[in-house]
Amino acid sequence: MIELTLKADFSNPDYKPFVAKLSVDDGPAHAVLVADNENEMVFAFDSLVFSIQKPRNGGILDDIIYSDPKTGLVQRWLRATSPHNTLLVTERCDQLCIMCSQPPKKSHTDYFEHFKKACRLAPMDMVVGISGGEPTLFKEQLFDLIEQTFRARPDIRFHVLTNGQHFTSQDIDRLRKPAFNTVLWGVPLYSSQPELHDEIVAKPGAFETLLKTFPTMAMAGINIELRTVMLKQNYEALGQLADFIGDRLPFIRFWAIMQLERIGFAKNRWETQFIDHSSDIEILENSVSRVAQTGMEVALYNVPSCTVSQKLRPYLRQSISDWKKNFPEDCETCRLKSTCSGFFTWHNSLADYRLGGPL
Amino acid sequence: LTDVFPLRFRRFADGSKGDSILFANEVGQFFVSGEPFLERLVCNKLKSSDINYLSKRGMSSKKEGDLNYAAFLSRLAARTRRPGKLSYVILVPTLRCDLACSYCQVSRVAEKAKGFDWTKQRTAQVFEFLDQNCGDNVQIEFQGGEPTLRCDIIAEIMQFCRNRFNSPLFVICTNLSRVSEELKEMAAMDDVLISTSLDGSKVNHQKQRTISEAVTDAFCDNLSAMVEVTNGRVSALPTLDPNDLPDIGDILDIYEKFGMYSIFLRPIFYHGFARKRHPESRELDQKWSKYYKDFVEEIMARNYNRTEDLLEEYYLSLALKKLTRLSENSHVDLRTPNWLGYDHLLIDYDGQLYPSDEARMLARSGQIDLSIGSLDSGIDEEKRASLQGREFNALDPWCSSCVYQSACGSDPIDDLARYGRADVPRPLTAFCQKNMSVFDFAIELLMSEDERVQKSVSYWLSLPSHFDQKDYLL
Repeated sequence: MIELTLKADFSNPDYKPFVAKLSVDDGPAHAVLVADNENEMVFAFDSLVFSIQKPRNGGILDDIIYSDPKTGLVQRWLRATSPHNTLLVTERCDQLCIMCSQPPKKSHTDYFEHFKKACRLAPMDMVVGISGGEPTLFKEQLFDLIEQTFRARPDIRFHVLTNGQHFTSQDIDRLRKPAFNTVLWGVPLYSSQPELHDEIVAKPGAFETLLKTFPTMAMAGINIELRTVMLKQNYEALGQLADFIGDRLPFIRFWAIMQLERIGFAKNRWETQFIDHSSDIEILENSVSRVAQTGMEVALYNVPSCTVSQKLRPYLRQSISDWKKNFPEDCETCRLKSTCSGFFTWHNSLADYRLGGPL
Repeated sequence: LTDVFPLRFRRFADGSKGDSILFANEVGQFFVSGEPFLERLVCNKLKSSDINYLSKRGMSSKKEGDLNYAAFLSRLAARTRRPGKLSYVILVPTLRCDLACSYCQVSRVAEKAKGFDWTKQRTAQVFEFLDQNCGDNVQIEFQGGEPTLRCDIIAEIMQFCRNRFNSPLFVICTNLSRVSEELKEMAAMDDVLISTSLDGSKVNHQKQRTISEAVTDAFCDNLSAMVEVTNGRVSALPTLDPNDLPDIGDILDIYEKFGMYSIFLRPIFYHGFARKRHPESRELDQKWSKYYKDFVEEIMARNYNRTEDLLEEYYLSLALKKLTRLSENSHVDLRTPNWLGYDHLLIDYDGQLYPSDEARMLARSGQIDLSIGSLDSGIDEEKRASLQGREFNALDPWCSSCVYQSACGSDPIDDLARYGRADVPRPLTAFCQKNMSVFDFAIELLMSEDERVQKSVSYWLSLPSHFDQKDYLL
């Protein structure tokens, strides 16, 4: 597992929180490398000198970091060598999904000014993930971050995970502007049955709200990745959801069907939530096929190669972020390992699947 | 209150489906029902189950701005929006050719003729034009004449495009009568496809193209060699004479022998010199239509027991995709609006610009000058605009009531070639007759309950399961 937070020593622990690029060169907002020792790297930033403990794997140079010196920690917000970087906008959420991987909290600290700096410093062409909580609870600040970043750095793209509950017709004109072409909005939909979707996101009326916000998103022309986590609760109704998407959501970019991540709420509810798709693969095949036949792209996330039929393998994506991806020992001999999504570090086991094992 | 998006309908002509009727709306969403539904629809007496079905399919709307309304508009926009930069450019570096096929679709001059190749300055102009007008995923097709007589120019263009654009693709159209080492080297690159002609059987190919046995044998050897160096990236078109059709099994055998599984079956075209020598090809007759269906039947029979190397007829696959993928609109021979000369363009040997290969043939055979500018003077916006009058079939009185309107296309250049005018009533045109017949056949296959048909259809549409019909029945 890749460490996202590193221990650090600061010459002045009272120095204000800051964002910097770890660099060998001098430059605006650069923390410049002054010493590279066996276990730590020393940087100079403004009047501050600090040393960071090296991570076990990989380098940290060119990373964009955030630090509040009095915590004695450095957070690697944007890692230069990784395609998986996410900024956490808030821990608040107006839904309480039964399998949430990052259960919400009431507290909120506003980091938007720091996010803006980080995005301006990001490496060329980076895709910056934005997650929460629910980022659009701070819609004004979020739109502002996207627009300001676009003005300074039109090469940066965003992938925002949102429940899609908060778009209104007043947003349409703004969302049609070129800045928002850089954004892919990941919006979850768990069922086409209103009660079932509401039950999964634990918010009465959530489905009804989506019926209003989807047309808004369509008229705004924003890029939507529709996300569905497979659960015991919704797997049998996946085919109906596929009909709904194929017939009524032609404006989404693609449909991502995802296997459950055993963390957060799902950790202790595994038995009642995890569905082994391989034990009834026809449901998944038919659902993928039903949407693919309309010409829409379909992708399977967090699904190991060996757990699906060959017909479904072209739809698999390597979706698990590098820092939390792992393989059980059995996979060593598998010829598909290099292209496989793999497993989440916190639960790397093949035992959950009826189909499964090295190919 | 529910408004149904206006529906067009078509009774199945052959009666094999009983009284079934195909319904479709302006964005191409379709379903199959019968006379009773049609009656309820026109008498404004829809049952609640009808209304539920239409709503669930996204084919009706309760109020402006609701989900189905947005879905309808987004589908309409997907197929009608103006294309961006050039995505397909045909280049004709030379008009010279070493063969003289009886129905040559393009104009050509003798191999030794002078003054029919791009000069150095011309090639430089082409670079400049591509640089300014092409998008990053541009496809470049080399046509002729026989373009491989000028491998040097092809190589220069490829190098330029690879440096300038993100992921260009190249298609070299060649008769494969001679294959130089230089051509082999170029063809071995992953971004190069070879396109050639193989007119069914060897006998047929010799009769129509290569004339002598020696040239025919050389062609076959060259084709094998090309399939090998390109790792299978060779496609071929059979051009067939409807009055002298070869045995279906023979065509399939020879294509399979060369490892080519996608076959674009075409009757002799009514263009260029073909027009003078084959006046009888003016109308497509019943014979062709039957042959075409028999051909597809044979393909489905061969596919049924296969898990790999399945065959397809290219145009039928295209029709199936156009019917089922409502935003698919990339094929210039079958799309509406057709945006002639916007994203697809040809640069001729003399620097003239044409909206398509067919347009240059009409100019060359002296029928009508459809050029839309030249490298020297740039794109003539006025001429290009004047071509667009008949390229949006939704505005045509015949097409606008047709179930296949959004899936079909508009080809005023083909109409001009055949009839000398572009305002012939649609049902009288070969374009309409051919496409109605292909779409009818495609719908029949999509809705077929025959396991053998379903297997091929799902392969042609690249689906992991059978095409899901249940949603398309009312």
